[in-house]
Parts: sequence; C-alpha cells; structure tokens
Amino acid sequence: MGLKDKLAAGEFAVLAELEPPKGVDVTAFLGHAQRIKGRVDAVVVPEMSNAVMKLSSLGGCVLLAAKGLETILQVCCRDRNRLALQADLLAAAALGVPNVMAVEGEPPSFGDHHKARPVYDLELVELLQVIQKLTRGRDMSGVEMEGAPSFTMGATLNTGVLGAVPQELAALDQKLAAGAEFFVTPPVFDLEQLAGFVKHLAGRPVKIIPNVLLLKSVGMARAIDMHVKNVQMPRLLIERLKAAPDRVRECVEIAVELIQGVKAAGYSGVMISPLGWEERLPRILEAIS
Amino acid sequence: MIVAKGKPLEEIIEAVKDSQSILVAGCNECVTVCEAGGSKEVGVLAAALRLYFQNQGRKVQVGEITLQRQCDREYVSQAREEVEPYSVVISLACGVGCQFMAEEYATLPVQPGVNTLFMGGALERGVWSERCQGCGNCLLALTGGICPVARCAKRLLNGPCGGSTGGKCEISKEVDCAWHLIIERLKALGRLEDYEKIIPLKDWSTDRAGGPRKVVKEEVRL
Repeated sequence: MGLKDKLAAGEFAVLAELEPPKGVDVTAFLGHAQRIKGRVDAVVVPEMSNAVMKLSSLGGCVLLAAKGLETILQVCCRDRNRLALQADLLAAAALGVPNVMAVEGEPPSFGDHHKARPVYDLELVELLQVIQKLTRGRDMSGVEMEGAPSFTMGATLNTGVLGAVPQELAALDQKLAAGAEFFVTPPVFDLEQLAGFVKHLAGRPVKIIPNVLLLKSVGMARAIDMHVKNVQMPRLLIERLKAAPDRVRECVEIAVELIQGVKAAGYSGVMISPLGWEERLPRILEAIS
Repeated sequence: MIVAKGKPLEEIIEAVKDSQSILVAGCNECVTVCEAGGSKEVGVLAAALRLYFQNQGRKVQVGEITLQRQCDREYVSQAREEVEPYSVVISLACGVGCQFMAEEYATLPVQPGVNTLFMGGALERGVWSERCQGCGNCLLALTGGICPVARCAKRLLNGPCGGSTGGKCEISKEVDCAWHLIIERLKALGRLEDYEKIIPLKDWSTDRAGGPRKVVKEEVRL
C-alpha cells in the first residue's frame, strides 16, 4: 500500500528522511535506503536543507525510485523560480515520484553558500497552488499540458509556534485549500506540547506527521534547546540523557519512545530524521514494528 | 534619485473611497524631481479626488501637504498637527517615505499613491532610466562606470550574452545592451584590456540575499 492509500485508510505511515550526499558517491545513500526498504512507507529526500549544497531531492528521489522505494520530493522556494519549479515537478512525476512536500527553505546565509542570490519567486502557499494546478492539467500560465502529474501533497506545519497560533492556523487553512494533504511538524521532543497545539485545530482535516529527530548527544539537545525557537526540548530529557550510562543507546531509546508515543496518540504517521545516524534506522524501525 | 510613477487613479480611489477625510501627502525630494509626488502632483491628485467625490454626491475633505522629506522622521513628525485630523493619508513619496509615514502615525492608514520603480536619472524631460539596484558591492570601477547589474537583463558580469544584436538587448530593441555600452566605454577610455579580466562571482549577500539592510555610522550617531 502506497503512502496515499495508507493516509486515506487512516493507517500509521512511517517516513524516513535520507539526506542525499554532497557529491556523486551515492553508495551510502543507496545502502541506507536498501536497509529500510519495505520497512518504511516512503523516504523523504530533503532539498538542500539548511541551504547546504547537496545532490538534489529530485536526483535522490529518482535514484531511490529506481531501487523500488516510494519517495517524497521536497520542492523548495529558495532556489528555483516558477519555471524551474514546474519543470522539476513534471520531471519528478514522469520519473516515478508520487509525493511532494513543499518547503520554504532557509535563506542562503544559513548554509555553505552565503553569497548566493535566493529566489523565493513563489512562496509556500503559491507553490502548493501551482502543484495543485499542475495536477489538474494546466501550468501556472493556464496552458494545457500533455498529461498531468499526480501527486500526494504535503507541507510543513509549525506546531512549535509560540504565541502565534492564529497566524499558523490561517496559514494552515491556506495550505489545506491549496491541496496539502499531510503536514510534517518540526522535530518533536515533547508530545504534550504537540497535543497542546493540536487542540487548536478544531476539526480541520489535518493529517499530521510529527518529525522525530534522533538526538546524538547532550550537546545537541542543549543546542536545540537554546537556538531552535520552535522546538521545545524538555529539561527532563536533557537530564535523562546526561545521566545515561550509554548515551548512544539512550538517544535511540528516546527516539523509539517518541515514535511509539506518536503512534499511540493517533497521529497519521511519523517522519524519522536520522541526520547522520542512518545506520541505526533499521534497529529503530524494528523496535517500533 | 528614486524614481516613481503615479498609481492609476482607479486604484487609489478603490483604496480610499470609504474614507471621510483624505490627506494627499507629497515629498519635496526625488518624487518631485521625477514628477510623481511633488506638490504639483499632490494638487492634481487632490483635485481628481474632489471631483470624484463630488460626482458621487459625497462630502469628503481632501487636504494637501508636501513634506520636505518623507524619509526623515523629523519632518514626518513635525507634520503631526496637519496629518492627524485626517482619516487616511495617500503618500506620494517613494516606498520609503510611505513606510516612514505609516511608522510615525501608527493608527492612521497610509496608502501608497505611487509605484516606486528604481534608482535612476532623467535622460531628458519626462524620461527616466534605471542605473542602480543598490546591490551593496559596487563594481562600476571594473566596467567603465556602466552597471551590468542594473542595466543587463541577465545581470551578466563578464560580457554580453548571445542575444546582443547591434548594441541592443534581446528583450527589446528599445533597450541598450549594457555590455555593448561597457565595451564602447572601455574603448573610449583606452582600457579595452580590462574587458579580458574576469570579474569574480558576485557576492549577493550584500544585496537583499542577506535580508533587509542597515547602515550604522558610529561617528555621526548622537
């Protein structure tokens, strides 16, 4: 069952995020994918996250599709204008990518090409509207195309937003109207905080896919706590990690508990971001199955 | 100067048609020179609005004011007594002036009456042309004083593209090819060898890529 059907059936979808390489040696990338094949519903291939230049999401998705994995293409407003975005979406559909997730993209100053000129020709909701229009057989200019792509569309939902819930809900309504079906959250470490946000949704048909990011160390947890405003890091979690005799094992354990918690709470799925710990993904997937 | 062009009257009317009193606010600087928002244009727009409301059978007070500079907090705040009695302001200043008005009069709607276009100059009476994009890292020294960032459609830094024909740009035969101009200028300066020098990749972080920009000159701060 593909992601689309799984979401429609209300079954718990497991997504994994696999970063493509900076370079053309895709051995490790494909190896990680091979080890989780059949155990995840789809692989999200980020589009140069944090504005760090890498092999593109489209390239990564096509490589994985050739190996029989279902993929989710990230389309990003930062680097492409409306012509390029549409062209790549058509290419993705023609090359066997059935899902897209629209993201705004961090400005170039976040990454490793500070001098780059950002594009942001389209903003997130406009990009979703364009994807929707493409699936209906017309491009942005209204010109009829030879064959329309078919995509399950996702977007981001900032469930960690502090003090701006009405604005986030307004943005959510725009994304829903533009055809977004599933919504990936920022990394979640506090399920109660997430539940607090979800209470505001008031019956909206939102398929939420919380992101579970693998912690690697106490330092990483502290850095997230201090610098990432929309991610709430419980103090107890940092203390637990500090006190653990085997911190690597504890990090994995925390991720497993969070995924199980997400599943038990009835969310539509989970997106696991190993971010460098891809070799630990099979163990995590086994633990949650 | 900053060059602007008046918005269509219909658009301005649509923005203020429900107001009880309207102040048309001009600026004595750039928009006066480019004849988009000085006291003359303030008078023309105010007269057009009065006529519109008269035809609608409505009594709407339309006032006129022209500040020395709308991009200067001192001048903007000095106009308080004249500005605050009105229910809406139409600023004929550039986008900077319009925003400074809105920042100063926080509860008063301020509508733009012009579209701010570019930094440029007058070629002749009634004709203004773009010269600068404020990229934050001027390279005019390398290009004979002609800016390819502002004047080349593709912002090419190292010579013309294949679309340059007879000194004109492929986007329109009305538009000069910036690189044709640069080469001619380098010839006139006896510096054609500079054309062979490769201009390094542009650092766009000093442009808008790095977010909104600000200049702080510590030695002149109060």
